[in-house]
Amino acid sequence: MVHKKIRKINHGYLFVAPFIIGFLLFGLYPVYNTLSLSFTDATLMKADSNFIGLKNFERLFQDKTFITAVTNTWELWIMNFIPQLGIAMLLAVWFTDVRLKIKAGGVWRMLFYMPNLLMPAAIAALYFSLFSYYGPINQFLVRSDLIPEAIDFLRNKEITRAIVVFIQWWMWYGQTTILLMAAMTSISISLYEAAVIDGANSWKMFRYITLPLIKPVMIYILVTSLVGGMQMFDIPMLLTDGRGSPANAILTNNIMMYMRFRSSQGHIGAASTIGVMIFIMTTFVALLIFYLLREKHDDFKGKSS
Amino acid sequence: MKKVSLLISILVLFSMLLGACAPKTEAPAAEQPAAEQPAPQQPAAEQPAASGKTVLNVWSFTNEIMTMAVAFEKSHPDVDVVYTMIPMTNGEYQTKLMATLGTADVPDVVALEAAFVKSYVESDFLADLGDLLPYAQEMEVYPFVTDVGTHEGVIKAYAYQATPGAVFYRRSLAKEYFGTDDPDEMQKILGDMDKFVAAAEVVKEKSAANTYMVASNGDFMNLFYANREQPWVVNDTLTVDPLVNKMVETVKIFRDNGYEARATQWQEGWFAGMNDTLTDAAGNPKKIFSYFLPTWGLPYVLAPNATSADGTSTTVGDWAVITGPLPYQWGGTWLGVMKDSKKMDLAKEFIRFCTLDEENLTNWATGVYTNEYLKAIDPSVPEGQYQAAGDFVGSQVVVRKITSSFDDSEMSKFLGGQNSYGGFAEAAPSVSARLFQGSDDAIQRALNDPLNSYLEGTIDLDEMWSLWKDAVRNEFPDLIIP
Repeated sequence: MVHKKIRKINHGYLFVAPFIIGFLLFGLYPVYNTLSLSFTDATLMKADSNFIGLKNFERLFQDKTFITAVTNTWELWIMNFIPQLGIAMLLAVWFTDVRLKIKAGGVWRMLFYMPNLLMPAAIAALYFSLFSYYGPINQFLVRSDLIPEAIDFLRNKEITRAIVVFIQWWMWYGQTTILLMAAMTSISISLYEAAVIDGANSWKMFRYITLPLIKPVMIYILVTSLVGGMQMFDIPMLLTDGRGSPANAILTNNIMMYMRFRSSQGHIGAASTIGVMIFIMTTFVALLIFYLLREKHDDFKGKSS
Repeated sequence: MKKVSLLISILVLFSMLLGACAPKTEAPAAEQPAAEQPAPQQPAAEQPAASGKTVLNVWSFTNEIMTMAVAFEKSHPDVDVVYTMIPMTNGEYQTKLMATLGTADVPDVVALEAAFVKSYVESDFLADLGDLLPYAQEMEVYPFVTDVGTHEGVIKAYAYQATPGAVFYRRSLAKEYFGTDDPDEMQKILGDMDKFVAAAEVVKEKSAANTYMVASNGDFMNLFYANREQPWVVNDTLTVDPLVNKMVETVKIFRDNGYEARATQWQEGWFAGMNDTLTDAAGNPKKIFSYFLPTWGLPYVLAPNATSADGTSTTVGDWAVITGPLPYQWGGTWLGVMKDSKKMDLAKEFIRFCTLDEENLTNWATGVYTNEYLKAIDPSVPEGQYQAAGDFVGSQVVVRKITSSFDDSEMSKFLGGQNSYGGFAEAAPSVSARLFQGSDDAIQRALNDPLNSYLEGTIDLDEMWSLWKDAVRNEFPDLIIP
């Protein structure tokens, strides 16, 4: 009997082994390798590298560009996440509302999701052409007398940032809408029926039924969006010159990391240092979100947190 | 049942392991790196054909050198050149090459573009090619071509082409504004930088600000950088040569006075000027008087863009080329041998053939290497693989020999009868490249964005320099920046 039981357990290990091995090789090892590289002056053009302790980190913190990159990344993410969540929430409420009964929900959902299917490279190229000095936006604005002369949009810090924020929002609000709709449709209809009988209005139903019950999905959206936002790379990289121009307005953490990596010497040590900093920052904030939005057991006693 | 599932799980596990380890355990991979490359966009990778031939691995970022590789196989029938093309559009080639350094996958021969050739020449990864120097002397290779391939007295890379820069201008506009379209006369009018600025004012005045002297400020960069007295890095310290200041001054003058069309190099507006379809946002047609382009700019940039996409507007035949205000050089492809190559002699012979062989260079420049010619050697050569006549080669012996053959070529027709080869031959000897350093490209790129902000007027000159220094510091952690 005992013997049989043990064999069964071994069996289970075998089944999880592929994942564990895959994770160790492709998940944990790269993290470990990045961490160990960040303490060296390794470059791709030199065969040997030296352990230099925390010097990379020291240099990084003295570098004003890094501070710019971090603030940029945060600004670009927050500026796109707030409207993204807001509009997705609104759309999701509308489309799941039994009383509104919007037709062809599937078609709308597909339309919202569509931008996400396009390649970021193609989107960046598209917006670059649209907003270039000799591009159609300038032609339209000047010819319809909205502005006196052409503007070099992509050499203006604020406009370039706004374009990046808009593209990020446009690409991701559909995804968020779908997740929120899934969460909302899984809420039992009887809760709403009971609320209607009790005389609750739409806002009250949203605030006291929908919102608390989609909280787990909201946390998921927040954390995945945060992780994605901290690694924002393709659109800002491809929209201008790949260096975050104009005047570092859209230089993000990952662009900075990539710039170190592809520099003429290939400074992988210095690049890893930035990678480690992004990792620490993301982990810390993700944990903070979990902590702040955790299930509070005294929720029913007092409403304020 | 239990046994079956156990077996399956073991199999799954085993295949996982195999899959995971495959890239690392492929020890004898040096023989066939082509097989594990991500499939190149063009069918450029030639598979090793018959066994018994010696395989030579060549990596490049265009299909150009494949033509020479096929020609090489003709004179060396016992050799199989395995050609791998990795595009460098977004630096894939450089990244891939850097990542294979020191591994078993490293190729024998590598093509190195002007932007990064020096960082390899300065590194320890390229072999000393001093053995080939006598051939280079015999072929009278332009000194700046060998200078680029040399570091601390050791030559590690050779080039088959020389890429002196020039100024291309519109003949019809020159006649209108200066009363002549003759290249010699125009060279006198645009002979130095002050004259060039003065001419820009004439162009603006006479065209009522509808013709710009140049399309973008990027046009000027190579020109000034090539004529500095000091390199960017002196004793590990970032150094700004007075000519860089002069460049900033010049592009500011061009921007502020409206001599420059505010286009961006390699973008729509810049190309539109070449076929006379540039219109400003309000719809007014604008013209570009001149472009700064090197030898390869004629066949690869100017000629293909001289007719608009809808075919209604063309400037073919309306161009002429002169040396311009300052001699300079721009771009070019060098070839080097990896130090770890196990076929050193063969690799050196390949370099000699490609860059220092009179017959090959003549064939290369005069259009002998047609698709049919290459197909006769190797039937698997893809359609569209050929070398059109006109590439400017690095050997003065060959240049002297073939210049006259271009008197009546297609490129001459494009230039209103002017023999461009002769023009380049005149410009090439005065080009200097002794200031080339591995860090040039990154340092120069870092200046573009601050410079543009300065030209926009959003920052002042001091802020521009400090932004630039931040950007340089970002890429070169070890550099001393005053």
